[in-house]
Amino acid sequence: MVDKNQAIIDYLIQCPNIVNSPLYFNLINAKNDNVQIITRANDTTMDKPFIDGSIPKQYTFTIIVFKSISENPIVTEVGTGYTNENIDDLADAQALLDWVVTQQELRNFPDFGEDCYVDDIQTTTNVPRLEGINDELTPPLAMYSIGVIVNYIDTSKMIWKENDHGSNTIQP
Amino acid sequence: MAVTQFNLNARQRAERKLLITVAEWYEEEGTSTSASPVREILGTRTEDSAIEYNADIETTTDIRGINYTDVNRTQPQQDFDPYLILGGSKLGAFLNDKRRRNAVSELNDFTVYVITAFAGESGAYEAEAHTGCTITYNSIGGDSNVNMPISVYLSNDYNGSGAPATGTVNKLTDDFVFTPDAQG
Repeated sequence: MVDKNQAIIDYLIQCPNIVNSPLYFNLINAKNDNVQIITRANDTTMDKPFIDGSIPKQYTFTIIVFKSISENPIVTEVGTGYTNENIDDLADAQALLDWVVTQQELRNFPDFGEDCYVDDIQTTTNVPRLEGINDELTPPLAMYSIGVIVNYIDTSKMIWKENDHGSNTIQP
Repeated sequence: MAVTQFNLNARQRAERKLLITVAEWYEEEGTSTSASPVREILGTRTEDSAIEYNADIETTTDIRGINYTDVNRTQPQQDFDPYLILGGSKLGAFLNDKRRRNAVSELNDFTVYVITAFAGESGAYEAEAHTGCTITYNSIGGDSNVNMPISVYLSNDYNGSGAPATGTVNKLTDDFVFTPDAQG
């Protein structure tokens, strides 16, 4: 049985926006550029089994991205354009989200093992969600979240995978 | 012949996956057909499917008010909807070829096995075999994924005997061996 949490970590570290950032699992460590994976409603059975015994399931998790925030105004002088760290940081988080979307198009999915067939990977929103800003920290941090859903088929209970289905050995 | 009891614990329900329908056919190889049959266990990504027997029933009532009901025939049929176009689906590819050529006359030479894995025992699960069955594609399309729902029409016949063959299969993978029951 493949550890799906490990499979997700192995999958996400392919992302250039994550591989160079400290990555944490189910832990809040609010520091600039830290990325965290938080499991949420992990591995839920979505529906009743198909008639062959395979089961549609959903693995969900949230990617949390911490970014330091700037208190500088966006526009300093009219006509000189603008730069702002906060906008750039949001773009970084957006790039991470876009990476997940691109993997769906490339059909590059987490490896949940031979008993699972990943159907698709989706983000729950099209832009990172700003969960909050903590200005008591140094530097002040913004917390962005990206919800991710992996839909897959668990084929471990398919009838013809069990092969020799002995008398009175049927799972209730 | 004695009735085989279910291989379930008392009051245990049989999971749906223990009723298995398998299609078997021969692929064309040039002008001849393949030496060994091709099989597919039906029901991948199908949530609900049942064999409908479509019994032709005739009931008469005599002058005393007693009903007499005759079953003239059954016409068993099983629909698979959705039947998704899936990579690796041998039957899907076979039927899609027929669909493209509108070769409807080539849809009626399937052997279909109905395996009841809740009856029998390990290594000898009860099954029945029908030859000369028809499998039709009913439509093709869908929303997110391409669906080609199919219907399986069982012949109620095994090699001209006028009835399906009852027997057993030795395992529940598509390379099973079907052994007809001894006659007499």
